Amino acid sequence: MLALLGTCLTLPAAAAQWGTLTGRLVFAGTPPTPQPVQVHQDTPYCGQQQLVDETLVVGQEGSLANVFVYLYVQRGQSVEVHPDLAPPPTEPVVLENKGCRFQPHACLVRTGQTLEIRNADVGIGHNTNAQALLTNPKFNEQVSHATPILKTFKKSEPYPIELACNVHPWMKGYVLIRDNPYMAVSDATGHFKISKLPAGQHPFIFWHEASGNLRALPVGNTHTSRRGRARLTIPAGQTLDVGAIRVPASMVGGTP
Amino acid sequence: MTTSHRVHRARSTKLPFWNAVGRVWLAAAVLVAAGCDALEPPAFRTNQLQLEACEIAPAYQREISQTLTALFGTPDHPSVPAATDLDQALLNLAAGAPGSDLQGANYGLYRKHCAQCHGVTGDGRGPTARFQNPYPRDYRPGVFKFKSTHHSAQPTDDDLRRVLRQGVPGTAMPAFSLPATELAALVEYVKYLSIRGQLETALIRYVQDELGEEAPADQAGDATRVPLDPATHHAQHETVLQILAEDVMAGWRAAPQLIVLPAPAEVPAEDRAEILAAVAAGRELFYGTRANCARCHDPEDGSRPVERDYWNQAHQDFLDDLAALASSIEKRRLSPGGRDQAWQADLLRLSRGQTVAASLYPVRQVLPRDLSLGTYRGGHRRIDIFRRISAGIAGTPMPSCGPTSSGAPGALTETEIWQLVDYVLSLPAEKN
Repeated sequence: MLALLGTCLTLPAAAAQWGTLTGRLVFAGTPPTPQPVQVHQDTPYCGQQQLVDETLVVGQEGSLANVFVYLYVQRGQSVEVHPDLAPPPTEPVVLENKGCRFQPHACLVRTGQTLEIRNADVGIGHNTNAQALLTNPKFNEQVSHATPILKTFKKSEPYPIELACNVHPWMKGYVLIRDNPYMAVSDATGHFKISKLPAGQHPFIFWHEASGNLRALPVGNTHTSRRGRARLTIPAGQTLDVGAIRVPASMVGGTP
Repeated sequence: MTTSHRVHRARSTKLPFWNAVGRVWLAAAVLVAAGCDALEPPAFRTNQLQLEACEIAPAYQREISQTLTALFGTPDHPSVPAATDLDQALLNLAAGAPGSDLQGANYGLYRKHCAQCHGVTGDGRGPTARFQNPYPRDYRPGVFKFKSTHHSAQPTDDDLRRVLRQGVPGTAMPAFSLPATELAALVEYVKYLSIRGQLETALIRYVQDELGEEAPADQAGDATRVPLDPATHHAQHETVLQILAEDVMAGWRAAPQLIVLPAPAEVPAEDRAEILAAVAAGRELFYGTRANCARCHDPEDGSRPVERDYWNQAHQDFLDDLAALASSIEKRRLSPGGRDQAWQADLLRLSRGQTVAASLYPVRQVLPRDLSLGTYRGGHRRIDIFRRISAGIAGTPMPSCGPTSSGAPGALTETEIWQLVDYVLSLPAEKN
């Protein structure tokens, strides 16, 4: 009986060493009015796209999009990765220059995975400039409609990297490159979800393009440090839902 | 560096690698004791902008300087970390105060020929830099514009030597006619300053990302912080050497294998009969959107966006961040309970940032070359123009149009790039 109980206790634990983190980013302030960008280049086409500044994207009920949430891993250490997620995905992450903006605005790429940069704008020249890369070779390439740029990266970047198009200076995009799958970016509803995390306590970075690391941000029952990191405990076989994370307007350059 | 810190370091048990630092400080201590403050030898300047942008605390700033001194020595006495492959004898010729011996051998070559513009530290901020446009190159990011290699690759020694011998036409960089040994010494010293600067940045990031996080933000002082002290901390020692070897040196070592070499069969002769057809095809590409050259290089097009190069953009980003910080401080000042501890800390950060900002030179735009002038900064040979178009110009808005590594697809074929070369070289004549 004791042996049986022991088995019962250990088996689920061994099979459930993984958990999920989820939550929702909420902008705490007056929702910003999207500001039209001044189009002086390729105006006949780009001028028709109703382009707005995408630094701060707030949707219904204060949903804050484009907040990167990812696992912090100390230099020289590695994180245990769920077997399902161990090999980087074989399908590429597609980043399009489309309608004179980067789509998506924020994306996630694993090391070894292909980032495919396309130009969907027929008759419009775009370049994709990644001068901000810190650990991987910087690049700045002309993107033709016919031939997409295919990029793979060898190293994790500590922060999301800005992508720019020099022809159209309003075009900004962000890409986070990590050597593990534990990263997410909040969607149009403000939600994010990181699945199959090793159970236990880990630091997670909260980052937004307007101010970088989101410091002193209340997350669940804790708050982020001055490096934008919150220590969260992922329960085995369960989901930690930190609920609504209220981002003060002043933290991301908005109006309270 | 305070005296107390020096004493603390002298007492500590050092790993053998770091012994040099003790000697340097001993020499400095002797000078101070002898009352030679006025003759203090030139020192390397710290990267204040990055230190401030990354919010590196003063104690860490000192430790980063000490770590760099232990590895690279001083402007008068450079040292060579084994991982760098740099030649100590060549560095000795380039370092120190200018002078020559009875046999006519020249020393102090860097300060004689380069430091006026590029600065003792190689930060592009010598006494004359403020008055130049473009500013002299800041070597510290390890980014160089005019080279034979692929976009992201480091320059080869030959590339740096070529810039010294040819100068950079259209800028303040003159051509230097110097004996081969002196050129080799200067190439070595420029690499030394660049590698040192790259490691400084890497150490700042290491401190920012890996150290000091455990100390609670609200705790007074930095009592619980983990100091950067590779001399006594074995894991840090290993990490610093790993950063130097993998993050900094790997790029310099790989450069000779990353040269942009067009297929010999594709290289069209200059005096061929079909050159007019090639010029016409090049013109088509120049004004088309695949190559998109005219978007920036057409002097008739007044809609060019304001662009900055890598170095000026870093300054601008720093100023923009300061402005955002100032605005956030102002908003919170007016809100109830806004003037909390974090607000006070930000106020201090703003004040330090403004001091650094005041020391910067004005941010300058990068301008696309006027190709009708026939002045080519990176060289006027056909292969030079080919490489500018194929690899782009690192650190600038000029993108690569060719493959970014050998074998990769590029936006343009080699034949098309040669057509553009022919067209570009025809432009000064077309104008006249």
